[in-house]
Amino acid sequence: MSSWFIVFLVTVGYLGASLAVGLYSGRKASSSTEGYVAGDRSLGFLVLYFVMGASIFSAFAFLGAPGWAYSRGAAVFYILSYGTVGLLPWYFFGPRIARLGRRFGYVTQAQLFAHRFQSPLLSAVLAVISLIAFLPYLTLQMQGAGYVFNVVTEGRIPEWLGAAIAYGVVLIYVFHSGVMGVGWTNTFQGIFMLILAWVLGLYLPYKLYGGIGPMFDQIAQARPEMLTPPGLDGAGDLWTWGGYSSAIAISAIGFSLWPHYFMKIYTARNNRTLKQTIVFYPTFQIFLVPIMFIGFSAILSFPGVTPADSILPTVLMSMELPAVVIGLFCAGALAASMSSGDAIVHAAGSILVRDLYRVVKPDLSPQREILLIRVLVVVIGSVAYLFAVGTELSLVFLLLLSYGFIAQIFPVLLATFFFPGATRAGVLSGLFAGFAVVIVFNLFPVLQWQNIHPGLWGLAVNALTILLVSPFTQPLDEDHVSQFVVE
Amino acid sequence: MRFFSSKLPPRQRLIYGGAAAFFILAFFAMLWPIYPSFSRIEPRLLGMPFSLVYLVGWLLACFFLILAIYLWESRRGEFDDE
Repeated sequence: MSSWFIVFLVTVGYLGASLAVGLYSGRKASSSTEGYVAGDRSLGFLVLYFVMGASIFSAFAFLGAPGWAYSRGAAVFYILSYGTVGLLPWYFFGPRIARLGRRFGYVTQAQLFAHRFQSPLLSAVLAVISLIAFLPYLTLQMQGAGYVFNVVTEGRIPEWLGAAIAYGVVLIYVFHSGVMGVGWTNTFQGIFMLILAWVLGLYLPYKLYGGIGPMFDQIAQARPEMLTPPGLDGAGDLWTWGGYSSAIAISAIGFSLWPHYFMKIYTARNNRTLKQTIVFYPTFQIFLVPIMFIGFSAILSFPGVTPADSILPTVLMSMELPAVVIGLFCAGALAASMSSGDAIVHAAGSILVRDLYRVVKPDLSPQREILLIRVLVVVIGSVAYLFAVGTELSLVFLLLLSYGFIAQIFPVLLATFFFPGATRAGVLSGLFAGFAVVIVFNLFPVLQWQNIHPGLWGLAVNALTILLVSPFTQPLDEDHVSQFVVE
Repeated sequence: MRFFSSKLPPRQRLIYGGAAAFFILAFFAMLWPIYPSFSRIEPRLLGMPFSLVYLVGWLLACFFLILAIYLWESRRGEFDDE
């Protein structure tokens, strides 16, 4: 049996197992919208831990992070930094959000903010922003899946077919099982990714250099600039501290606000479960260290590989490893892609119906609501797929906007809980001002002084606008506001 | 504007406030202008350059602090009625 076929069989075995877990887990939730979107608020620690970890660690972590370490050296450390503090706000905000969710029946992020500020428009704006942010992210996950299939089958499976196979499986289990399918497959996929990351990250430096110490000894001798932040930029020149630090800042601020993570607060069984997930999240985050070792191990051993994101499959394919091992790697990379993609596609369908469609048509029956979410899951997955295989369409601009846009929700979160005087007009004008700044700074990169991320300028303008506009606009009812703010 | 509920005992507010301050310090310690002072290769630990050891150190410090707070809350019976 030829080696590529063994690789293919291992991969198909993984996909079959994911599908079985995804379909079976759907039996654990009720047939209500709350069951489909929030898992009846019943997820325990193990599943929630892996949902958070595996959703966050996407194809970018598995393919992009080694690529960054390989081509940009210590610039990759920014990924480790923002995750260190990014989820911690949840420890303080999370239980309050979960309690409000139980009380008022929220299953999405925008429901909380739209209720607090009595604004259907805010709900619609956040839904549109979520979709703008999700689309390029989902497209990248699909491209990653197609790419992995293509490389490990030595080109026999084209990228469009690889992406279609992997995401066909995702759409089936998300359509059938909702968040329970996402949760239990992410548990399976997360365990897979963790094991592979540690095994590969420790094995490759040992195999190529005799250990982690000798590997960094040799890099320190030949390429010392690769070991000290801010590392290199995309063009291979020294990155600026402004670019490096603001990338951490904007990612850390936006980290816990991505709508598909935020929604998982509502799925927790209780505060203990939620807090345990946040406490133990760093045990997932630390797996970026061996992932980075993979990229560092290739700097001297495999110079000149392009694109840099292909470094991990390139290294593995050239080391004459057993086909089963390569198949397992393929499955691990697919797991990384699918465990993020499934959470996004599920969240996108839920958000479009709950935060946009129901604003226009509030009398939607529960049965029709679930059906509509399911249909939209397939539609959004298909649109992202068309972007993924349509080479002439570039989503780079949307991707640049997405991190800056998501971070603009942070002042809204702070105003929700800590600023009783914040008004509907204040928050909306702050958001629009923040978005405008992000768009303008991305359209005119010359404005990005010291490479500082446009999202940070947007945040400053956003927060200032809320503070300036709120005192002069119609306040909200005090009894209503007191249900949300910390008193 | 309050960051912690006035219903919390002063000692509890102090602990939460101290922890939040530590996490904010961790955030800034990984950025310019603090991090450049620690962005160097030597001394090494477990073979890793100091620039990486420093970041892993903050990750572990944040982990153990939040774990300690969780255990303290758990021992106080905060989750008993769930």
